[in-house]
Amino acid sequence: MAAARKRRAGPGRATAPAAPPFPVSPSSPLQRLAIPLSLALALALLSATDRVSDQLVLTRSVWAAAATLIGWTLMLALQARRDGRTVSLHTVLRPQHYVQAILHISVLSYWGYHWRPVYDHIWLLVAQLLFAYAFDMLLSWSRRESYGLGFGPFPIIFSTNLFLWFRDDWFYLQFLMLAAGFMGKAFVRWERDGHRTHIFNPSAFSLGLFSLVLIATGTTSLTWGQEIASTLTLAPRIYLFLFAIGLVAMYAFSITLVAGTAAIVLFGASALYSAVTGVPYFIDSEIPSAVFLGLHLLVTDPSTSPRTPLGKAVFGFGYGLGVFLLYAVLGLLGVPTFYDKLLGVPLLNLSVRWIDRVVARLREGNRLEHWSPSWAPAQANLVFMTGWILFFGAMTLVGATDRRHRGDTVPFWETACAEGRPQACERLLQIQTNYCGDNAGWACNELGRYYAEGVVVEPDLDRARSSFAQACELRFQAGCLNLLRADGWLSSEPRPIDYRLLLREAGPNLVDMPEAALLPRACAHGWRSACGKATP
Amino acid sequence: MSNPSPPAPASSGSHLGLTLLALLVTGVGAWMFTQTPAPIRNGNLAGSAPPPALTGFRSDAWMLPNEPELGFVEIPAGPFLMGGIPTTDPGAFENERWSATLPRGTLTLPAYYLSRYEVTTAQYAAFVADTGYEAAADTLAGPGDHPVTHVSWPDALAYADWLTVKLAADPNTPEVLRQRLEAGWRVSLPTEAQWEKAARGSDGRVYPWGADADRTRANFQGQTTVPVGSYRCDDCPYGLADMSGNVWEWTRSPYQPYPFTVDDDSDSLRDDALWVMRGGSFTDPERNIRTGTRGGGDPGARRPFMGFRVALSGP
Repeated sequence: MAAARKRRAGPGRATAPAAPPFPVSPSSPLQRLAIPLSLALALALLSATDRVSDQLVLTRSVWAAAATLIGWTLMLALQARRDGRTVSLHTVLRPQHYVQAILHISVLSYWGYHWRPVYDHIWLLVAQLLFAYAFDMLLSWSRRESYGLGFGPFPIIFSTNLFLWFRDDWFYLQFLMLAAGFMGKAFVRWERDGHRTHIFNPSAFSLGLFSLVLIATGTTSLTWGQEIASTLTLAPRIYLFLFAIGLVAMYAFSITLVAGTAAIVLFGASALYSAVTGVPYFIDSEIPSAVFLGLHLLVTDPSTSPRTPLGKAVFGFGYGLGVFLLYAVLGLLGVPTFYDKLLGVPLLNLSVRWIDRVVARLREGNRLEHWSPSWAPAQANLVFMTGWILFFGAMTLVGATDRRHRGDTVPFWETACAEGRPQACERLLQIQTNYCGDNAGWACNELGRYYAEGVVVEPDLDRARSSFAQACELRFQAGCLNLLRADGWLSSEPRPIDYRLLLREAGPNLVDMPEAALLPRACAHGWRSACGKATP
Repeated sequence: MSNPSPPAPASSGSHLGLTLLALLVTGVGAWMFTQTPAPIRNGNLAGSAPPPALTGFRSDAWMLPNEPELGFVEIPAGPFLMGGIPTTDPGAFENERWSATLPRGTLTLPAYYLSRYEVTTAQYAAFVADTGYEAAADTLAGPGDHPVTHVSWPDALAYADWLTVKLAADPNTPEVLRQRLEAGWRVSLPTEAQWEKAARGSDGRVYPWGADADRTRANFQGQTTVPVGSYRCDDCPYGLADMSGNVWEWTRSPYQPYPFTVDDDSDSLRDDALWVMRGGSFTDPERNIRTGTRGGGDPGARRPFMGFRVALSGP
């Protein structure tokens, strides 16, 4: 057992199957083709569930996916009959598949408990799994390869859905995104360590590719991407939860150096920026929770990352730095910043052979002697894990994880913007946009004023009117009156209903908080007008 | 027995696969370009096709009425009696009393124009088609010649602002309207005083046609809206149609106690917004379709019994 653990942890073992392939009992090609056919029919049957049948486009998307799979299966069956073509199957049970799947399910369950749309999405996850198995199977057989039946599609589907899914009206694009991931796995390959293997982490590949398309076409609103990125924090102590989940992955797959280095780079760069500029780099956290999730469960696929300790550290460093830079670049381009954690992974996957080569050269030149302790790989991983635990503990102690973040309050950014701090006005605009999106009428009216007055942002009267209209529809009287004005824009203090959203600290709204407790909390968050009223 | 087959070499199959992958991504990108971003408001996206032609309305003038002044009726300057109390009007509500000492107030308004009909679904559809304004699906679901419904207070104002721009820019706008617009007049919602004067005239009528409710003169206590102008009212003070019933009509007045002022109530910004709506609807009893009845509407409400008409008035 210990030996097996040591092998798993050691370099060069990550992509090798943990168990030998088990051939599936003999049957004819046509009988085997009954498997994808059954999966496709099961997919079609899902259209009878309320979740799918309530929405016409969604129903048609499922039917179209099922019909494609059935057509493909029949085509293969005809070929098998005509040409005597073989269709083979073997079982492959890899821990990196089923353990990762369990971790993904844990995150989805915990997050979904606090954000209902995740649970509403369950039938669609099942649909994607059915589609993924059938598609992957048919793709293998079309390429005259044996299909390795195991849990492979699980982490691909789950990790994709932890970061991006399309809205019901465009759900057919979700199936196409998955198809792209599997095609990338099958066709975009290279030689690595004497094996022909896929270059890209399949889910990261499709996420990266579709992110680019969504950015280029300005169609992010077809997806739930923004909501997904911002709702993880609705789950209490999400950083601690992800940290605990991450430890399992670190122990099982020796990815400590990847995730840990990425996190350290992000924490470090963020702290450095904050020290220099006086404002946080990320708007309301030291590392956005979705990025923290990504560096544990998206970038850490052992098959597509380096296998040496130094290589892993370089890989993690690259991810951390990439996210840090992409956040700024996307923000400057006016693109949703949640893509920061998705775009860099395929590029890092592409750099793996280069990283391997550099590490090998360093090793050949004995330049790593001082940096290579004589620990066994498993021992080394435990040491790295200990370091990571200590680092995370320290970050938690200084309030850089689950505690309230100074950047999550509007007054902080108002002051910073007025002082001319870097990016502060952009952040103020962003945070007001977020709160307005949460239906805080006060924030919508402030946003309208910003656009109308052109102080925080370039003047844009159409946007101003749109924001005032939204404030008005939320019964914020100043917003209504501003719609009747041509200048002299009105402002007013937040109402209790607004404070319930403005003071939520990235968690759930404070609908149950007594009104008497709201004002002291507002005062503590920097709302000076609330302070006098908070004192009994 | 099935054995794993040897790995396939990089071949034309891979090239075909890569080509298919490239086609898939390109196709998805091209398709996404055709999709409208951020289309969601109330879960639906209204259609953007221009409305079909309707008898009595001009398809070359944003479906406004085929009248010399596009349905705008001048309400001359002068005084009128506003408000009421149960002693003189048994149906009057307490919120119609002018003040503690006066049951009614006399208000003098400058001249203005009010549209003869409620804004129709076709007119609103012309606005949506021209601007891409996000309308709820129910907004445009009704027949073109019925009053538009499921419009919020900001929706109504947005329509009025758009019409101001359109009328001002169109060389075919009737001369009398053009002159007003050039003088700084704007299309907007009427104030509740403008609405009430137009409905009851200077002789203080309880209903636009007289003192008593009449099922043959207005659409009330019914099941649904009817085409605008179904109940013509030539003997009403200014010949306006559907001032009683059909749909409640938004005004630009915040809901505040009488006496009426043009004050925009900006000293009570912390209160929840409520805006006056007038005229009652097809769902209401006779008491609610009186000329003096004041309703308070949540500005974000989009209901099947709420619409609006527009006014053209000076700065």
